[in-house]
Amino acid sequence: MATNGDAVKVVPVRHYGQWIAAAVAMVLVAMLVHSIFSKLPTGQYACRVVSGVRKCHALSEWRFSWNVVGHYFTTSEILHGLVVTLELTVLAMLVGVVLGVTIAVMRLSTNRLLSSTAWTYTWFFRGTPVLVQLLVWYNIAILYPVISIGIPFTHIAFVHFNLRASGFTPFLAALVGLGLNEAAYMSEIARAGLIAVDEGQIEAATSLGMTRRQTLRLVVLPQAMRVIIPPTGNEVISMLKTTSLASVVGVIELLGAASNIYAANYLIMPLLITASLWYLVVTTVLSVGQFYLERHFAKGALRSPPLTPLQRLRRDLLGVLSKFYTRRASIEAVR
Amino acid sequence: MSGPMVEARGVHKSYAGVEVLRGVDLTVVRGEVTCLIGPSGSGKSTLLRCINHLEKHDAGELRVDGELVGYEARGGKLYERNDKQICAERASIGMVFQRFNLFQHFTVLENITIGQVKVKGVDPEAAREKARELLTRVGLEQKEKAYPSQLSGGQQQRVAIARALAMEPKLMLFDEPTSALDPELVGEVLDVMKDLALSGMTMIVVTHEMNFAREVANTLYFLDGGIIEESGHPREILAAPKSERLQSFLSKVL
Repeated sequence: MATNGDAVKVVPVRHYGQWIAAAVAMVLVAMLVHSIFSKLPTGQYACRVVSGVRKCHALSEWRFSWNVVGHYFTTSEILHGLVVTLELTVLAMLVGVVLGVTIAVMRLSTNRLLSSTAWTYTWFFRGTPVLVQLLVWYNIAILYPVISIGIPFTHIAFVHFNLRASGFTPFLAALVGLGLNEAAYMSEIARAGLIAVDEGQIEAATSLGMTRRQTLRLVVLPQAMRVIIPPTGNEVISMLKTTSLASVVGVIELLGAASNIYAANYLIMPLLITASLWYLVVTTVLSVGQFYLERHFAKGALRSPPLTPLQRLRRDLLGVLSKFYTRRASIEAVR
Repeated sequence: MSGPMVEARGVHKSYAGVEVLRGVDLTVVRGEVTCLIGPSGSGKSTLLRCINHLEKHDAGELRVDGELVGYEARGGKLYERNDKQICAERASIGMVFQRFNLFQHFTVLENITIGQVKVKGVDPEAAREKARELLTRVGLEQKEKAYPSQLSGGQQQRVAIARALAMEPKLMLFDEPTSALDPELVGEVLDVMKDLALSGMTMIVVTHEMNFAREVANTLYFLDGGIIEESGHPREILAAPKSERLQSFLSKVL
């Protein structure tokens, strides 16, 4: 250590292994990017067999047929499919969150019947594949052709819903299937959040004279949100992609729209790339939204909230500037 | 409005077969400060929590302000009170916890207004005004916009006292209010409590601060093994403890 107060040059540890690994990774990434944006000497062809004769036509000189992707990216079929995907995502998540929180509260109830009902729900909907659930809901009219609202265990009914007569559309089947399945997962997430809130918070609210419902709504849920939001963000992103399963039961969402087009013109890869790009775009937007939501609900839990990207940029710029200025000042001081 | 504020006769409470309170008798006079001392596990906190019905006592009679806690006596039967009645009971009893338990997601001001607005239905602006008054009283008028995590333990506990006072309670319960504090912060909380005692608030304080008990309390109860071992005027029983258990307890803490 320096004892006379003079600055001593510090030599940091050199991580040579890391540098080599980074260089290898960069080369591999560069190769991949190059191939994605490369052109083929022969170009891409699309072929189909028309009355026994194989007919091909040139598609694009790009390996990934970027011009075709660009063409279909904003066609009305794809955009319409995107809207259906977004609708399905939002509505299914809404069902999932509301029902999931309800089930979580039931699960934590002191009433045995309520908590075991909640447990059974989660057991069933988490225990069967979501694709199977979608198919079952799509075909639910086989089991329950008519749903009536009336007095249980009697023949008295006030309203009938005929599921067979087109009342239960593929979209509704997908919404119910995805929503109920999501509720099972959301209930576990919400339960973790509710448990994470300190018992003392509940006691304090109770001792102020709040009812159980007020305690839950004003004190427990807002604090549970901090734990619930990050995995829920994951669930939204996961749901966005899971909605593609709805194409199996005839919902024309993003993937459904893409596959409808390529079924007609055989441009399989360009359309799958188009759909993938749209999924990526929406996922990116959702991730940004998640960051700000998490920041909002971190209120009070952290002494200083995490910086937004803009704030971080400003801090870094200021840091560099101040370093620059102090260095100049010290140089001038030496002079 | 006469008679004692709190009256306990033979109060019992067990958790999972373990008897924590084994017939406690206690009387708290209006406007007086009662301190509960005793080794850990002696049932002090449990007794406090039974008084505002955070815990249900199993047997015995417990009255606050002349009313049975948690039950209503009608026609020779005891009817359990419903949630709404119990909430109303609790709203009139302030409680201060060992670990403060301020609402972490609310600012200091919101912590003090939430109970007034949501439980008592006070107009938000009036609630804020009252909250600022109380903050001045506990010496934290500068901190209304802070979150609890930004305050020291002593400051948090003073906010917690203000939060309880905002409900205009007839009785204040303190559950080891200074036990979780750094030694240098204990004084600021005890000062607030002394002021409160001087203003005539009826207080029950579970504490290990013998000096506070000696100076401020009107009555001191020593609990051990779920029963009151000794009680009386603090100066007298602290100076000349009669029971052996109190003697050995005091030799450890003083």
